[in-house]
Formats: sequence, C-alpha cells, structure tokens
Amino acid sequence: MTLAAEMAADIGDTVSICSLRVGTGLYGIATSQIREVLGTTVPQSVPLAPEYIAGVVPYRGKVLTAVSLRALLRLERKSGSNCILVFDGELIDEHFGLIVDGVNGVIALHKDTLRANPSGLDARSMEMFDGAYQLPSGLMVQLDPRKLRPSRLAESGLFARLKQERQGEAR
Amino acid sequence: MDRGRKPDKGEVEDLTKEFIAESHEGLERMDLCLTELEKRPDDGELVREIFRTVHTIKGTTGFLGFRRLEKLAHAGEGLLGALRDGKLAVTTELINGLLQLMDGLRTILQRIESAGTEGKLLAEDDGELIAHLEELKAGAFPASGDTASQNRDVGHPNPSSEQVVKQTDCETVDSKALTSSSARDKTLRIDVEVLNRMMNQVGELVLTRNQILLCRPGEDSFPELARRLDSVTSELRESVMRARMQPVGHIFSKFPRMVRDLAVTCGRRVRIEFEGEETGLDKSLLEAVRDPLTHAVRNAIDHGIESPAERVKQGKPAVGVVRLRAFHQSGSVVIEVIDDGAGISTACVLAKAIERGLLTTEQAAAMSEREALQMVFVAGFSTAKQLTRISGRGIGMDVVRTNVEKVGGSVELISHLGIGTTIRMRVPLTLAIIPALVVQSGGQSFALPQKSLVELVYMPRHEMAQTVERIGTTELYRLREGLLPLVWLDRLLGLAENEDPVRADFYIAVVESEARRFGLVVDDLKAPQEIVVKPLSAELREIGVFSGATVLGNGTLALILDVAATGARAGVRQATDAIALVSAAQAQAESTHVEIESLMVIYESGKRGIAEGANQEQMAMPLSSVERIESIPLRQIEYAGGRAVLQYRGELIPLEDEDEVLREKSADASANVLICLRAEGHGTRRVGMVVRRVLDVSAGRLLAPDAASCGQQLAMVNERVKTVHPVVLPHENSAQQLALVGVA
Repeated sequence: MTLAAEMAADIGDTVSICSLRVGTGLYGIATSQIREVLGTTVPQSVPLAPEYIAGVVPYRGKVLTAVSLRALLRLERKSGSNCILVFDGELIDEHFGLIVDGVNGVIALHKDTLRANPSGLDARSMEMFDGAYQLPSGLMVQLDPRKLRPSRLAESGLFARLKQERQGEAR
Repeated sequence: MDRGRKPDKGEVEDLTKEFIAESHEGLERMDLCLTELEKRPDDGELVREIFRTVHTIKGTTGFLGFRRLEKLAHAGEGLLGALRDGKLAVTTELINGLLQLMDGLRTILQRIESAGTEGKLLAEDDGELIAHLEELKAGAFPASGDTASQNRDVGHPNPSSEQVVKQTDCETVDSKALTSSSARDKTLRIDVEVLNRMMNQVGELVLTRNQILLCRPGEDSFPELARRLDSVTSELRESVMRARMQPVGHIFSKFPRMVRDLAVTCGRRVRIEFEGEETGLDKSLLEAVRDPLTHAVRNAIDHGIESPAERVKQGKPAVGVVRLRAFHQSGSVVIEVIDDGAGISTACVLAKAIERGLLTTEQAAAMSEREALQMVFVAGFSTAKQLTRISGRGIGMDVVRTNVEKVGGSVELISHLGIGTTIRMRVPLTLAIIPALVVQSGGQSFALPQKSLVELVYMPRHEMAQTVERIGTTELYRLREGLLPLVWLDRLLGLAENEDPVRADFYIAVVESEARRFGLVVDDLKAPQEIVVKPLSAELREIGVFSGATVLGNGTLALILDVAATGARAGVRQATDAIALVSAAQAQAESTHVEIESLMVIYESGKRGIAEGANQEQMAMPLSSVERIESIPLRQIEYAGGRAVLQYRGELIPLEDEDEVLREKSADASANVLICLRAEGHGTRRVGMVVRRVLDVSAGRLLAPDAASCGQQLAMVNERVKTVHPVVLPHENSAQQLALVGVA
C-alpha cells in the first residue's frame, strides 16, 4: 500500500501535511509520521560518514543519526538555523532525524491534489520523492521518511559517491 | 463465559512471551537436573523438579493453544510420572530419551518464538519421539537392553555422532536466536528488594532536583546540592548496574549437557565442575562471553583431555576434569576454563607457526615458552592435528580473543605440558559506563577509552622536528628504546585542512589494542571522564572507527574511538613485533614475579616540623583499597573521646590523622580524606585517612619485602620507591595478591 493510500484510508479525503523549506523548494511529510520537531540543534558531525549524514544529535538518551536533506538534494551546506524532524522507530523501522532549513507549519490537503512522480525524473529524485501536491502557489514535493532512512540510502548506492563528486566539482 | 474477560490478541502475545521465557528457564533447570540425575539416579527431588517443569509447560501450553507442544509435553509427563512413582529405573536410555524430549520441547519453543506458531513440519518427528517415550514408559528397554536391538527398533539410537551434530546445529540456532534478541534476552528477573531500593533513590533524585529548581543562582546551598545530586546519581547508577548483574551460573548451566555429549562423541570421560557461579556480571557481557566460553570448553575436551586409556597410562584418573571458575578481581570478572588434560606443547605450537608462515625459525628459537603459547591467539592458527567436527570449524582462539576484546576484556593462556591448560578471560563488570579520556582533534572532541591508553606524551612544537622521524611515509616517534608509529587523528579522519598544517603543541596518546600499538596524535587533552556509552546506528558503525557516542558534560556529543580499528585503518600492523612488545611486558612481569602491577594513590605525608620540601615523603596506597577521595570541611569533623570521627553517608567512620594534619589547619579549611575499606575480622569497614595532599594516581608494583625495605611494604611507582601505607593493606590481603601472582 502506498503512503498516500494509507493516509486516505485513515483520514478520509484530507491529509495533514507538515510543510518544510529546503533551499528554495517546498516539501511535505505526513504529520502522522513525525514524532517530534526539534528546534535549532547543531548536529555533531561524524568524520568519514557519507555526506548525506549530517551527524548525530542527542535525543532522549539516545544518539540519533541525522540525514541532511540539503545534501541529498545536492545543495550547498548551510550554516545557521535548521530544524530536525524526528521519525518514530515504530512506524518506519528506524529511528532517525532529518535536517531541513525550516518548518512552515501544518496544512490539510485534499488527497486528490497529489500527483505521482513525473516519468522524466532522475534516478536520485525518483528514489527520494513520493509525488507532489499541487498547491495554488506551486508544487509541494511529498517525501516518504521510509525512503530517507539512512540504511536505505546506503543500500541504494545512489548517494554514496556524493562526496567524491563534489570534490571533483570543486577542483 | 463472560465475553469481556476473554484475553485480547495483545494479551495473548504478552502471555506467550512470558511463557517462552519461563519455559526456557525451566528447560535450563531440567538440563542441569538431568545431568545430575545421571550421577545420582536415586535422587527423587531431581525427578520431581523435572516433572514440575514439563508439567508447567504442558499446563500453560494447553491454555495458550499450542497443541503440538502440549502433546509432546504430555507424553513426557507420562514418562516422568512413571519415573517419579518408582515404576521405572534411571538408565542411560531413559536419560537420553528425556534429553531428546527436552530438545524437542526447546525446538518447538524456538519455533514459536521466531514464527509465532509451533509449525507442523516436524510433526512426524514428534510422533516418533512420542512413541519412543511411550515405549520407554512401558519399560521396553530394561536397564541391560542390548544396543543393537534398540537401534533397530526405533529411529533414536543412543547419542551417536549423527545426533550430536543435530544438537550442535540446534545450538547454533540457539546462538542465532540469542543475537536477534529472543524473549530470554528481553526479560530479566530482579529482586523486589533491589527494585525498591532503586525507587527510593529515584525519589531522592526527584527531591534533589526539586531543591535545585527552587535554588536561586548564587545561593550558598548550591554546591551542597550539586554534591548531593552527584552522590545520589552514583548510588542510583550502582543499583541499576547491580540489577543488571546476573550470576555467571546462568551461562554455566548449559555446559553439563554439552560436556556430556561432547565427551561421548570424542570418546573421553569428562567431569565438569563449577566454582563461583554466583559471581555477578552485566547481562550484556554475559551474552558476550557465552560463545567464547563455549568454544574454550569445546577446545578443552577435544584437544585438552586425553582418552581414558591414555590418561591411565600417564597415571592420571581416567575421568578428566574441566573446571569453570569465576571470580571478581579489581573491578573486572575473571572466568577461567581449567582442564587437567595434556597441556599444549610449545614445540608443536612453534612448528605449526613456522609452517603457517607466521614466524621465522629464528624468531621461534628466540621465543620463551610463554610467548610461544600466545601464538595460538594469532589469526590463522590452529593446532588441531585433524579438523574435527567439534573444534575445527574455522573458529580459532583468535576469534575467542577478538570476541572478548570486543567487550573490553582480555584472554590469557597458561599451559603446562602433561598437567593441563587454563584459559583465563577477564571482562569488565559493565559496558554501559567506561572511563575515558576526552581528546580534541581537528576541532572535534573524541573519547578515548582508558582501557587501551598506555601513556601520554606532551610534544611542544619546537621539539617536533627532532623527535618525529620518518621511514618512507611512516612517521615514527622514538619512545624510550622503541619506535612508535604515529597516527595523526585529524588526518586519518579527513578533518585536517591540508596534509601538513602548521601545528601548535600537540599530544601523543600511546595506545594499544589487539596487539596494535601506536601513537595517536591529538591537538589537546581534556578531562578524563566516566562516559556513558550510547550505540550508533548501523550506517555509522560501518565506518568502523567509532564504537559509540557519548554526551559530554556540556551537552554536546563526542564520538568514542575504537582504538584497534583506528590502528587498523591507519595501517598499523599487528605484526610479530607487537608480540615482542607483549612478551617484553611479560618478561618484565616474570623477572619480578612477586610484584604486582596495580594502581596506587600517591599522597604527601610527613609532619610539618621536618624541613619543608626537603623531606616530604611520598606515600602510596593501592587504589583498590581506596573507595573515594573526599575534601571535607573541618567543621564537619567531630570529636568523640578525643578521636576524630566523620559522619559519612549515614555512617560514622573513624578518622586517622597520623601526620596531624587536622591540628595544623584553621577551622574553616578543609582536609583531604581518603575513604578506605579495611578488612576487619570477617567483614570490611570504612576508615577515613587524613592526608596532606593527594598527588597522583598511577600504576605501580608492590615490591617483595627484603632486607632493604626494613620491614616496610614498598612499592615502585614511576621508577621511584614509595612507602605503602601499612594499615590499610591487611596481611592476608597482600598474601593473597602474592599468591595470585604465583599462580600466574
């Protein structure tokens, strides 16, 4: 069952989406999947880790691995304020955080406005995105936390070489 | 029946989990009882105990609806009932039958645990087993039945090799189930008393917190509150740690059965003995030593104990003894597997090592007996003449060592040809909290476990050019006589801006782990701390260099370095010179065989009357006898009958002030007090020792008393002689320590 179908079954026709900002883009994640939004915590970076892992943050007596959405979208690293979304280990098998630039708020959207990923999308985006909502102001790309789990990102191999590529670009 | 009271799905699941945990425990007891029963066939209590276990399983399983399990348990119960009523005699066949019953029950339990259902695949096997049990019950096998006919009659002969293979398979399933956190792993039995104590301490913690919340900044009571918080926290930590402690006996319990089966397969006669089963060890560590211990016991029987004929020829009793011994020693738990078998021939070991290309002939010739023995721990080494099913499965002693070292322990091998072999494993009491040194490199903090830290060297920048030398691309530091490969932590972790940054002063942390010894270069040292180890997610563990993370005092995270892996990543070889290092340390230990390396608290002593500075004597006290070092305001010290006493944690302890420090101090000063444990009669009591100044804590050796020591106990600390305080070191204690060294 897809994520959208699951939610439609739960809450009738509308879904509650947490809207996020990363760079200039707008992204959304179903609120039912988010456990907590942490304010401006600076993650401790882990040397030698894949670049999409921004670091680790202490969270309720545990060490939480934080995935950087900026790095996944191949945006430049940004210093300054950010937010960390914590995902529940019970819902999506893995306990991890996602670092975004900011959280706009929660909006209710009609599930009919969700469109599937367009066919021309590159492999990496196909891997990450889960369709998009058509908002009056533009598109909001839906993310499925299950697709952003560190273990899955590692398995897919699509994101592993990010660092070297970037180094190549820098030169 | 009232529909509302019918247990829902979740409830049934909970019940099942509980049932599985209980049944496993029951079966473990049954295991022990069965091997005991074989030795003492007339013990009715043992039979009743086994009966109860099977009966309980049958009863509960009927309720939960596991028909297959119930059927098997029912058959077993019938047989045991007949045995209990004295209708049957205990025979080897009967014991075998009951062991099969136990295996059968266990297999179904495991299936229920992993799949949630009892499965139907093996139903026919059950039928056979049940029929076999029925036959046993009917007395089809008189005690003197001939084996051939039994083999023909049923598909279950005596434990032949084939069956043992089955059982070992079963064991591997067992260990797999253990790693994937089975119900047995998830539950823990705790004494209500312990739980109550913990609750009290939590209450205390809450009260202290409330007071701290009410406290205004700058208030006088704040330091006092902080201290209270500190003591409550450490007490609570200790209670929780104690609650996690499990008697080592839990993992010993499966050995009688294993030994019995192995002995049959290998054609040996072996008796297993236990000592110190009640020794407590953290649950997670207990699981970690389970496999290495199993391996060691297997080795002892397969390679250690000789065949009965051989033993008799050598003038030993036909029955070999494998002894498992556990005890506490200076903050760690020691588990020994001792056999009285053939021992290990160093000549064989060396020949093998040369054959495998691990040593050159010259190296081998230069090796001492002790060094040669340690070769069995080197990867790719196995002395088994032929690979047997039991031991030669590609797991060598190197795996035993790796596994034990993974949890911060160490393994040692002691062997005397013809007399026997001892494998000694030393593991820390707990894993969750370890002492570590926080270091700074490339702008980040890292925690370095004290366990692998040997020493620290400060390196001013201007000396670097002279002291750091190069051979090829390897940088080396000349540390006393040897050359130490250097690993720049920031460079290794890719934190350095460029390859050769301009450096300020730096530090070399000399570390050693898994026979790799190197100097880790870091920018700065921070305070040594007791850190709480938190696991990292799988992707970060995969990097290999970090074993976990910890939250520092300021709330930030620091990664914990895995020293062995860091060395491996940097390409530090685990070469034979590492063995040479080990052997050098051992040679030193051997040459001074009555000395013991232990941590000492060094403090200043001597009366002030004596010319200051010139004759300040430094005294040493073994750290093991010092519980805490406290700074006590003089106001808190009271006098009773002319003697100084101190109220310390709800206890009144006498203070000893040999150097009359208290008299010199003004009333508002505070004194350093070493809270010591002194053996008295059968127990210990606390004593406070007032000292002028605590100088250091460092490793030292107690020296053997001789003419020069003038009847004083002396210790060598940092190449200097210190007098050991005589009062706190009771004679029987030191005698014991000396005796231990003698054994080693």
